[in-house]
Amino acid sequence: MIRRLLSVLLLLALTLRPGPDAWASSLDEVLAELRRLASTVQTLSSEFHQEKYLALFKDMLPAEGRFHYRRPDSLRWELTSPITTGFVIQGKRGRRWGDDSGREESFDIARQPLMGIVAGQLLAWTQADFERLRRDFEIFLENRTPVVLRLVPKKGMGDGFLERLLVFFAPDGRHVLRIEVHEQGGDFTRITFHDTRINEPLGDHLF
Amino acid sequence: MDISNLISRLYRYWEGRRRLLLTVVILFLVAGALGFLTLRMQENIAAMLPDSGPVAETFYLLEKAPFARKVVISIEGKEDTPQAVLVDGVERLTAALDPALFPVVINGPDGDSQQTLLPWLVSLLPSLTTEEDLRFLREELHGEEVSRRLAESYRQLLGPEGWALKGIIRQDPLGLHRLLLRKLRSFNLVPEARFVAGHLLSKDGQSALIIAETPVAITDSAGAERLLAAFVDARSVLPETLTATLVSGHRYTAANARTIRGDLWLVLGCSILALAAIFVFFLRRPPAIYVFLVPLSVVCLAAAVVGAVYREVSAVTIGFGAVLLGISVDYGLHVYFALNSGAESPAALVGKVARPVLFGALTTISAFAVLLFSDLPGQRQLALFAVTGITAAVLLALVVLPHLLPRGEKTASSVRRKTGGGARFPVLALWVGLLVLAGWQVPKVTVDGELAGMGMIPSELAADEGRLRRTWGDVRGRAVIWSLGADADGALAAGHRLYQRLAMAVEEQDLVGLAPLLPPLAVQENNQRRWRRFWAGEDGDRILSALDRQAEALGFAPQAFAPFIERTRGPSPLATPEAFRARGLREVVDALLVSLPDGRFGALTLIPETKAYLAAAHQVLTDFPESRLVSQGYFRTAMGAAIQNDFVRFIGFAGVVVVILVTILFRRPAKVCASLIPVATGLLVMLGVMGFCAWPLNLFNVIAAILVIGLGVDYGIFMVCRQGGEIAQATEQAVLVSGLTTLAGFGALVVARHPALHSIGVTVLLGIGSAIPAALYVIPALYRKRAP
Repeated sequence: MIRRLLSVLLLLALTLRPGPDAWASSLDEVLAELRRLASTVQTLSSEFHQEKYLALFKDMLPAEGRFHYRRPDSLRWELTSPITTGFVIQGKRGRRWGDDSGREESFDIARQPLMGIVAGQLLAWTQADFERLRRDFEIFLENRTPVVLRLVPKKGMGDGFLERLLVFFAPDGRHVLRIEVHEQGGDFTRITFHDTRINEPLGDHLF
Repeated sequence: MDISNLISRLYRYWEGRRRLLLTVVILFLVAGALGFLTLRMQENIAAMLPDSGPVAETFYLLEKAPFARKVVISIEGKEDTPQAVLVDGVERLTAALDPALFPVVINGPDGDSQQTLLPWLVSLLPSLTTEEDLRFLREELHGEEVSRRLAESYRQLLGPEGWALKGIIRQDPLGLHRLLLRKLRSFNLVPEARFVAGHLLSKDGQSALIIAETPVAITDSAGAERLLAAFVDARSVLPETLTATLVSGHRYTAANARTIRGDLWLVLGCSILALAAIFVFFLRRPPAIYVFLVPLSVVCLAAAVVGAVYREVSAVTIGFGAVLLGISVDYGLHVYFALNSGAESPAALVGKVARPVLFGALTTISAFAVLLFSDLPGQRQLALFAVTGITAAVLLALVVLPHLLPRGEKTASSVRRKTGGGARFPVLALWVGLLVLAGWQVPKVTVDGELAGMGMIPSELAADEGRLRRTWGDVRGRAVIWSLGADADGALAAGHRLYQRLAMAVEEQDLVGLAPLLPPLAVQENNQRRWRRFWAGEDGDRILSALDRQAEALGFAPQAFAPFIERTRGPSPLATPEAFRARGLREVVDALLVSLPDGRFGALTLIPETKAYLAAAHQVLTDFPESRLVSQGYFRTAMGAAIQNDFVRFIGFAGVVVVILVTILFRRPAKVCASLIPVATGLLVMLGVMGFCAWPLNLFNVIAAILVIGLGVDYGIFMVCRQGGEIAQATEQAVLVSGLTTLAGFGALVVARHPALHSIGVTVLLGIGSAIPAALYVIPALYRKRAP
């Protein structure tokens, strides 16, 4: 009797557990929805607070910064405290600043592979370009409402350094609320976005 | 015994034994054909290059230069093509290339090695930092600069790229690896390429590069066609926004083969039409067809003799030689016209014509025999082929042919109007004027030693090469300096010494070589000792103290830079070719460090092929006897010098041999000089027109010029004999028809599109085209003795 009951329970468990296809379908639906919502975003501005927990430093490194995006391919990322540094990307060209002289340096993304990767990732996130992101990461759905995604780098995409990324979306799904970059060895960075403004006009001077 | 009597007696001997004679001849020809079937043909341009001496070695080393034997594929997008599409196209095309024809395809360093390369390079800092680098650090790394560099590292760690740079910053907080990145430039075989997303992209990001190896030899025309077809097939996987272009020697080979095939029909068509016209106008009677069978009969026999002497026979030689034997139709023509000309017995007629025919053949054989001393194996084979073939042809013409031809009754009329006293002077005036004009232009003749110049270069391929050069820099055309050593480290040591000297003489950024990042082991060990002394000394202590202070101020942990501090004191790895290969730089290392069949190694240093750089290199190389400079330009110059030398040597030698033979034949200076008129006129006009039209002299012109000498002298001998009354009046017609058949066979090559064939056609057309009227009109005008 007990054996029969156990068999029925096991059968039920197997039947009710969502299979890989069901999960995949669920993830695809979520990503498609995020993509649809992102397509309505023409501009995006946000302040952010960054916390870096690195073994290289005695203490956690806090920083404040701003992020601006304008469709199709303009973005500005800058830290305002404790140091002033940042970069602007427009298409294939960019410029950055950072040293004490206040000078700006122009660069070509094709000649700065690391900046190319960084800019590509930022744009992919802002535009919810999951097709591109899936070339570099395995994407898992951690939570559906609000959406939380876990990304594990594929071979060749920072797999020697990165362990995983956690991306927390805003409840309305139109933008990212928080990102956690977990590196191998235990270091991690948390970036929390606030005062996010969507589709407000952005002046050309920003880019 | 007189040669005329001998041939007459031979005719009479075989007159009653014609069947036996023909059987013996057929047996000989069959044996030749069987020998021909066993020939090992070599379809290789190597036969047209010297097989010994500096030019041969230069060509061998040139072939081993990076990219010389590689297939280069450039993929181009439009201005608005996203980089991702371009990179995706590269991957698709790489996957679509047939692995049997493209077994090794490189489109960039592999991802794994890219990530490990920089940390590994940083670990090599002690081995690769030179005395000059340390001097630079001593001056550069003062307190403020240390603060600035560490602040930059701090800024990078705070930025979004920090995760990728953290490991490097721990090992190298002061960014000393920039010293090595500068040295890494010397590894850049593709000047305008950047590594982006694991691929070789152009500066503007609109083009990507694929480099492939193939087992198809560059000289294999059928293989080249297969290779190109496979590429076109594979290219179809690309989206419409991308185009792919393949550039390699195979395209030249295929284009040349296609052109020659096309030319063959055109030239053959023209030749056959012209020969048919000659037959109809001058010969008419069906048995005359035997005259044309003489050269055809001896081709296999001559080829078999060449095959018996040489292990491998050049297909080019046999092909060209077979055409060359077409000239032996002349001997048959003289016999035909002699038999057709008078009422004497055939034995007497054949005997009379035998002397000039034999001497004519002897001069042609002698002219070609000088090529037996050529440095070019192809020319030596051609000489043996021509000597054997002409000997066989003249024997056939004098001994066998008279038994197959009918005896004529009529006395042939002169092909020209009698050059009476009134016509003599205009002829001579015209001739002298022509010689003066031609002689004036001869000094303008230039020599072209470039093999490519003798081949077909389609405009589309030239445009693709130009586009490749504009996008990627001069990938395929840099000069190479070989530093040879008994082993790899020996070659690296020689290359290192040379590179250091060159770097002082020219802009170092233009040099490509292994020396900066792969010096010999002894140099690396010395660098390590110097590095440790530096950091243990006063300067090192000052820099490390400044680093400590600034790190503390920025909040770094006390052990943050422990790997760097350890590296300033402890042992560190050595750079070896194997280690570079393991880090994804196999292609570069294998291209610049080459093992030779004799067990030696060569370390290659590439320099731009400009006058200034070549001059500087030659200057430096005077102190490096173990090093060799090879370049397309140098090779071209050396080949040019060899051709010029050959031309002077062979033409001079052939000229001397011909004069000696003609002197033996005629004995009297007036006759000797008269017989040389056609050849002198032919050569002078040929060179004069080439000089006037700025057509350079090439390898094939040399062979064609010898042909002009051989045939031109024949015409002279026959006309002088005819003027002296030794042979029949019909000789004039024989000379004219001989000349016309040569023009029909060789002159027809002038319509060919292939430069080599065209240049032979031009040379023969000019040389023979002017030798014929000189023989027919100038000799009678100058040498007027007639038979009573």
